[in-house]
This record gives sequence, C-alpha cells and structure tokens, in this order.
Amino acid sequence: MEEKKVKLRIYGMTCDDCVRTISSSLKKQPGVLDVKISLQEGTGEVKIEPAGLSPEGILKNQVFSKGSHYKATLVE
Amino acid sequence: MSEEIKHFDLVILGHGAAAFSAGIKASELSSGEMSIAMIGTGPLGGTCVNVGCVPSKYLLEASHRVFRPKHPKMEGIYETNVVHDFSAVMKGLRSYVKQARESKYVDVMRSYENVALYEGLARFTDRKTVEISDPKGKKIGKVSGSNILIATGSRPSIPNIDGLNDAGFLTSDTIWGIDELPSSIAIVGGGAIGLEIGQALLHFGSSVTVIEALDSLLPQTEPEIGSAIRALLEKEGMKFYMKARVSSVHKSSKNKIVEVITHKGRERVEVDEILVATGRLPNTDTLNLDAAGIKTDPRGQVLTERSMKTTSPGIYAAGDCVSKRLFLETLAAREGVIAVSNMFGEDLRIDYDSSTWAVFTYPQIAGVGMTENEFSRKNGSCSCRTFPLSNLTKASIIGETEGLIKITVDPKDNRVVGMHIMAPNATDIITEGAYAVQNGYKINDIIATSHIFPSMSEGIKNAAQSFIRDLSMMSCCME
Ligand SMILES: Cc1cc2nc3c(=O)[nH]c(=O)nc-3n(C[C@H](O)[C@H](O)[C@H](O)COP(=O)(O)OP(=O)(O)OC[C@H]3O[C@@H](n4cnc5c(N)ncnc54)[C@H](O)[C@@H]3O)c2cc1C
Repeated sequence: MEEKKVKLRIYGMTCDDCVRTISSSLKKQPGVLDVKISLQEGTGEVKIEPAGLSPEGILKNQVFSKGSHYKATLVE
Repeated sequence: MSEEIKHFDLVILGHGAAAFSAGIKASELSSGEMSIAMIGTGPLGGTCVNVGCVPSKYLLEASHRVFRPKHPKMEGIYETNVVHDFSAVMKGLRSYVKQARESKYVDVMRSYENVALYEGLARFTDRKTVEISDPKGKKIGKVSGSNILIATGSRPSIPNIDGLNDAGFLTSDTIWGIDELPSSIAIVGGGAIGLEIGQALLHFGSSVTVIEALDSLLPQTEPEIGSAIRALLEKEGMKFYMKARVSSVHKSSKNKIVEVITHKGRERVEVDEILVATGRLPNTDTLNLDAAGIKTDPRGQVLTERSMKTTSPGIYAAGDCVSKRLFLETLAAREGVIAVSNMFGEDLRIDYDSSTWAVFTYPQIAGVGMTENEFSRKNGSCSCRTFPLSNLTKASIIGETEGLIKITVDPKDNRVVGMHIMAPNATDIITEGAYAVQNGYKINDIIATSHIFPSMSEGIKNAAQSFIRDLSMMSCCME
C-alpha cells in the first residue's frame, strides 16, 4: 500500500486537549493512517493513503470546518 | 544581503487591495497565528486608494459640484457660478488620499502583528522562495512561504507613439499631482479611466478631446449606452475622434501637437496636456514566474482557476494581475479572500458572471451579467427591453432623463441574465441587477418586489414591466 506524509500548519491549538481533539478527529478520517501533532510548533504530520485521501482532503476534516476555531493549511 | 531565508506560512507579493483583503482574511481564519510576509513597492494600499478609485472619484465629485449648478435642469432654478480654486481642490484630493491610506491601510496593518511588511520588489527564485530587492535592484532579503499569493496589480500601459516621451504626458498614476487645470487636454483612450478623468476636467473647464481606437465607447456595455454617453459628453463639449489613432506627438513653443489618423485622414490636435489612458499592463514581467512554474496569458496576466489557484501548487493569484475581463477593486478584494479561504481547505470559486462594474461619469454607467449581444452570441437568441429614463417619473421631475435601463433575459424561463444602466445613481441601483443575476430571479420576481415611487430604482421595475406590457398604456405605479 502506498503511503504519503503530509505536513500541516495547524492554528488555534492552546493545550494538550486541543492536540487530542485534532488527532482523534483526523485518525477517524478514511485514508488517514497515522497522525503526529506538535503543540509547540503548531504543526502536524499526517500519514495518508493517497489513493483514498488527497492532502487537501485533510483540510476538509470536521475538526477544521467552518465554526471550529482549529484551522490548518498545507506545508510543502 | 544575508543569505538566510526567512520562512512564513504565507507570502503575499504586493500590498494593494487584493493583498490586504487576503492578509486580513488569513489573519482572521488563523486567529492571528499565521505568519505572513507582505512585500510591496510604492505607497501602501496600491492603486485603488493612491492613484485609482479614490482620487478619481474625489475629482469627479468635486467637478460635478462645479458643473451642475451652472447647468440647472428644473424650471425657475437659475445658473449659479460656483467659486472654486482648482489647485485647492487638488490639495484637498491629495490630503484625502493620504488620510484614506493612513486610516484604511497603514493603521489597519498596525493591528496585525503577524504580518511583516517588506518594502521592495519581489521576484521568484523557485516555487517556494522569493527574493526582495530595493528599487535600485539591490537585494534586501529572501523569504519562503508554505503558500504564496501573487497580488502585484497592474500599471498604465504606454503605447509606442513617436515623440510622446519627449513631449511629456500624464497617466492615471501622475495626474493627481497637478495643481493647475490644463486649459486643453487630449486623452488617448476612451475607456472608463479616460472618460472619468476627461469628464472631471471638462466639468472644471478644460477643453477635452478624446482619441479612441474603437468605433464605439465602452464596448463592455450595451451599444445604446455607449452611444448615449457619447452624445451626452459631446453635448457638454467633449470632442471625440473615433476609430482613430495617434501617429505622433511633438511640442510647439507653448503646446503639444497630437497627430491623429482617422478614416478621414490626418488631423492635428493642439493641446496644453496629454493624458495616456490606453489600458493597463499586469505587473508580472519582473516576477520571474517561470522559476515558479506559473503560466500567464499572452498579455502576461496570471492564469488561474476560479479557485484563484495558479498552474503551480500552493501558489495563488488575485487582483489586477490575474487573467480576466473585469479589473476592479471589489473583485481584487474578493479574489484575495477566495484564494486564502481555499488555502484553508474551503471550496470557494469567484463568480465573475454576477460581478457589477461601473463608470463614474455623470450620469453613471453600471452593469452586471451579459449584454444582449453576448447572450445571443452564446445562446442563439435572447429577449431584452430598454427603458428610457425619459419615461420615469423621478427622472423627469429632476430633469435627468438622459439615460436608460436595459434588461436581458433568457427567453426559455425569463431569468435575468444581464442588466445595464445609465442613470445618475446607476452605481447604487445596479445592486438589484446583481441580486437578480446571482440568484436567477425572473422578470416577475422584480415586478412583484416593492419599489419606491417616485425613485430611480422604480425604473428597474418599469424596465421589467416592459417585458409584459406596452408602458405607454400603463398608469403610474401599476403592478
Ligand atoms: C484611475 C483608476 C480608477 C479606478 N476606479 C475604480 C473604481 O471606481 N472602482 C473599482 O472597483 N476599481 C477601480 N479601479 C481599479 C482598481 O483600482 C484596481 O482593480 C485595484 O486597485 C487592483 O488591486 P490589486 O491589489 O490587484 O493591485 P494594486 O492595488 O495595483 O496593488 C499591487 C501592488 O503591488 C506592487 N507591486 C508591483 N510589482 C511588484 C513586485 N514585483 N513586488 C512587490 N510588489 C509589487 C504595486 O506597486 C502595488 O502597490 C480604478 C483604477 C484606476 C487606475
């Protein structure tokens, strides 16, 4: 199975709870294989299965949707 | 120059309308956490506030206040000569521009600590990196961005006319610095900018000659409106050379001589000053776009999708540097917001079809959607009605009957696909057309909507009613 690492810049995280909320929401997304988030750097690394999920698709995760104060952009 | 490359979440090239709206939206979406580099040359705020919308509308408004009391339109109201001082008006204009720039751009930017302003020219070295240099070409630094927005705008294009540089000329970048009203001026180019500045100077008392390459004015609007505005400006004293070209320019002892070629042959126009208003060029030629894999159209405007994505991943473009048909402050700002929202994973698209545009002559001209010709070229047939302001009660009370409202609908379902207006307040009432086009409203939706009597906006309802009945057989306020 092909894997791809996607780097995210994540905005709005203030504590470990934020990290847990974002990680668990991302892990539930079909196509996501693994998630590592750094609160200190405001970044995340998401391992995805490119056949099932595009990097931009990660940004559409519920946790980053309109109304949520967590937001993310892609870092190449 | 230090070789250190400073990294940002977002690098914005340009500091005009598109750049500001993008920078502010990005700051809002990230709660001020997104690190942003904004690189620009010239005064903060770019074209609109410094040399575009703001000074041109100021000059036009001032000029109408001088002209209109001299040309009253109601019985018993007599000509009044408005005492004025052109150089003081220009001083007022510059001071207003300065204040608008300070309050809407400089002060606003101070509240965004996440935005680092760089004064200089930006140039790509690769897909992620931008080099900044000062106006003399000295390198100042390098920045890189996870996302990049190109918002470098446009500048006046100067045609290659023999003798023009030696004789000297004004453009929409430089005219705001004058203190003395030119006694006569030749305006090369009869588009929106040429007509707006031309009418303003005419209203102050200049003798204005417009030289236009096409055979009609404002081809983006309905031909009836192009002819009506030309007739009105001619009545006010503006001279036109249509289907004409300037072959050369030279200086006489006091004046500038413009040699014009028309279908009738050669003519000489002797003037005090020349304004070149022959369109604008995108500021993309020095960006080294190839290094970033960004494609442009043959004019050098950046090709984007409606999502404002360029041909290079992670790089977006917004504003006057983009390949499109309408070049407006409002669109630049909207495109900036769309580009940034899409960086955050949204799926927004720019809607050019229901974008309103305007020319701020008096009367004003405004439009949205397709003209009759555009719709029938695309679809084979269309249905349209033209409602002259001479039929509108409010317009005839105030004597402002030179104008019209034209609505184009899709004959299949009577959906409004275009509205074009020439009226004193066309820029205000066109918004009804924008709602109609954007939301697919039909003629009956307009008729069934309450409009004030007597008002200019009632003209839109009348124009809609003229699809269903002969208006000469209709009484006042008929539903
Ligand atoms: C006379 C006139 C009247 C107008 N009237 C109206 C009106 O009434 N209503 C309306 O909606 N629109 C009007 N417009 C159009 C409007 O001004 C523009 O559509 C709008 O300002 C475009 O904004 P922008 O951000 O794309 O570009 P700009 O505002 O031009 O900003 C681009 C900035 O980028 C800078 N730049 C260029 N190259 C580089 C580089 N390599 N590196 C860094 N920076 C660079 C430029 O110096 C500039 O500051 C008018 C324009 C003119 C000229």
